[in-house]
Formats: sequence, structure tokens, C-alpha cells
Amino acid sequence: MQTHSITAQEQETIFRRWLDEHIGLILKVVRSCAAPQDQDDLFQDVLLQVWSSIPAFRGEAKETTWIYRVAFNTALAWRRGEQRRRKVHETFLKLDTSPQVQPSHADSLPEQEVVEQLYAAIRQLPKVDASLALMHLDGLSYQEMADVLGISENYIGVKLNRIRKQLADQLKGATDEL
Amino acid sequence: MNFEALQKAWQSQDPGAKVTINTDMLLNEVRRNQQQFRATIFWRDVREVGVALLLALFFLYRGMRHHDWTNYLLALAGFGVGTFMLVDRLLQHRKHPVSNDPLKACIESSLLQVNHQIWLLKNVFWWYLLPFAAALGISISYSTWHARNAGFLAVIIWVISALVIVLVYWGIHWLNRFAVRKSLEPRRQELETLLANLK
Repeated sequence: MQTHSITAQEQETIFRRWLDEHIGLILKVVRSCAAPQDQDDLFQDVLLQVWSSIPAFRGEAKETTWIYRVAFNTALAWRRGEQRRRKVHETFLKLDTSPQVQPSHADSLPEQEVVEQLYAAIRQLPKVDASLALMHLDGLSYQEMADVLGISENYIGVKLNRIRKQLADQLKGATDEL
Repeated sequence: MNFEALQKAWQSQDPGAKVTINTDMLLNEVRRNQQQFRATIFWRDVREVGVALLLALFFLYRGMRHHDWTNYLLALAGFGVGTFMLVDRLLQHRKHPVSNDPLKACIESSLLQVNHQIWLLKNVFWWYLLPFAAALGISISYSTWHARNAGFLAVIIWVISALVIVLVYWGIHWLNRFAVRKSLEPRRQELETLLANLK
């Protein structure tokens, strides 16, 4: 990893700002890639990798692209149980793994259930497809997804067609009930 | 419900709402984890490379002290193995996957690394066991030749020594094969599947 000189203070400032602005993105990746009981562990690992990646960040990529890359790479390399050896000494995090729908929506309860169903469906997908599904749902452009994954936009288009259909099929029964 | 409706529901979530982070504690934890990780890597390298180089120094010292040239062979084997591991570590360190690489590049470099580990463990005989085995074999045979006046006893000692070496080597070889089968092969398969999904 090529790094440029950055003081510990600057690294900390960037890290705090990223946490403020992009915590939602990280949580979505964690919830999409790990079973509920493993999400705390993966979340800590992603934060660790995000922190470590800051000295290499030169602003050439968008912050969100950068964080998606770090989060997905960590999630793909992450294996259940391995990271448990890293015991957390203190509780710095209170994480409720259930996604929250913004209260401004009148029909927020069914939407929350749809989101829960979506997470469950995404976790069933192959890992690469899960990352694409998540970014697509988040509204990223093909170009942005291609930047995160390092593959061509054409290929993303082909894959997404299949994933959309797959997700819709998986959720058909569930959403009909809502 | 069509995909657009799903997307709308998805984007309406506020995933940060129920997260409470004590940032100071988190930073301490992140730093501690990073130090722990670096220390683990550092001490692993010191242990593996250091032991080989210490053995080299030990046999070099013995060779000089006792004017026994077979010790120089053992020192050479230790030095060779230590240097090989050191150079390999340095070369591999450059190819280490970087977490902010695009996903495909990260998977490819992880796969290269796993393949290299498999190659190392499968070929442990050639780069680790054989140099020591050759030096030990010559050293023991030379000592036995010197003690040939002891007759049959010298032969028995030679045979026992050879058996012990063969057993220890077989154990090391088996352990390495086991590690490849148990953890590296599944990891390689997993990475190949991921890569296939991106091609």
C-alpha cells in the first residue's frame, strides 16, 4: 500500500469524519455480508481496515468508493470465528443490528420488514452478487460499481439484470404478505 | 413489489440510528489491534527466520571451536534456509493484498498469496528439510566413520540417528500437507469461486 505522510492527528480527524458521514454504508455492508451473530466482529474488523487505509487515501477515488472497497474486501476475506481471537477489551460500540427505517414514512413498519427481508435475501446471494446488489440498491452508478469491483460496466449490467430478478423472486412471497 | 419499490424501501432506512460509538474507545481499540497485528507478524518472522539464523551462528561457532568442518555444513544449511525465508517474506510483502484495491485486484492478489503459501508448504522438503537433512546426514556419517572402531555399535547409532531424522521429517512433512488440505485449499477454492463470479 502506497502511503503519504499523515500525522496521527490527521488520521484520527479523517477517521472520525468518515465515521460520522459513512457509518451507514459500513453497516449496510456488514449486515449484508455476515449473519447477525457475527456482525459485531466483522464491523470491528472493517473499522480497523478503514483506519489502516487512511494513510493511503489521496482523494483520487471518492470517499464512498474507497470505503466500499475496504469494507467489501474485508468482508470477503473475513471468515467466521477467525477474528474472535481478537478480544475487545472495552465496549466502544452499542450496535443494534436491525435496520431502522426513517420515521417520516407513514408506512414505515412494512418498509422495515421489506428491508429485513432484503438483507436476508442478499445474504443468500454469492458474495460478489451480494456486494453488487447492495450498491445497486444504494443507487450507485455502473461506473461507481465498476470502480469498487474493478470490472467492466457492461459486465455489471449483465449481472445486475440477473440479481434484480433473483431478489424479486426471493422476495415475492414475503412482500406479497406485507 | 418491483425492484424500484424495493430500492425505495432500502434507501429509506437509517442504518446509523441505533449505533452508539464511543469514538475515543474505538480509536484506542483500533490502535491496539493494529499494534497487536504488527507484533504478531513481526514475531512470526523473528521466530522463523531468527531460529534458522541462530542455528547457523551456533554451528558456525561450534565448527570454529572444535575445528569440525561438518558443523560448517549445518551452519550453511541454516544460513541458506534463513536467507530463503527472509527474501521470500520481503518479496511477498510487496505483493500483499491491499484492502483499498478494487475487489477483483484484491481477490487476485489474495489468490496469488494463497497459491504461494501452498507451494511453500508442499515444497517444504526442498527448501527447508533437504538442506538440513543433507548436512545432518554428512555430519552423522562422518562421525560414524570416525567411530568405526566401535564396530557394530557405531552402525546402530547411525541407524537410530537416521531413523529419528526420517521420523521427524515425515512428521513435519505431514503437518504441512495437513495445513494445506485443511485451510489453504478451501481458501483457494473460495477465492477462485469469487474470482469466477467476477469474470
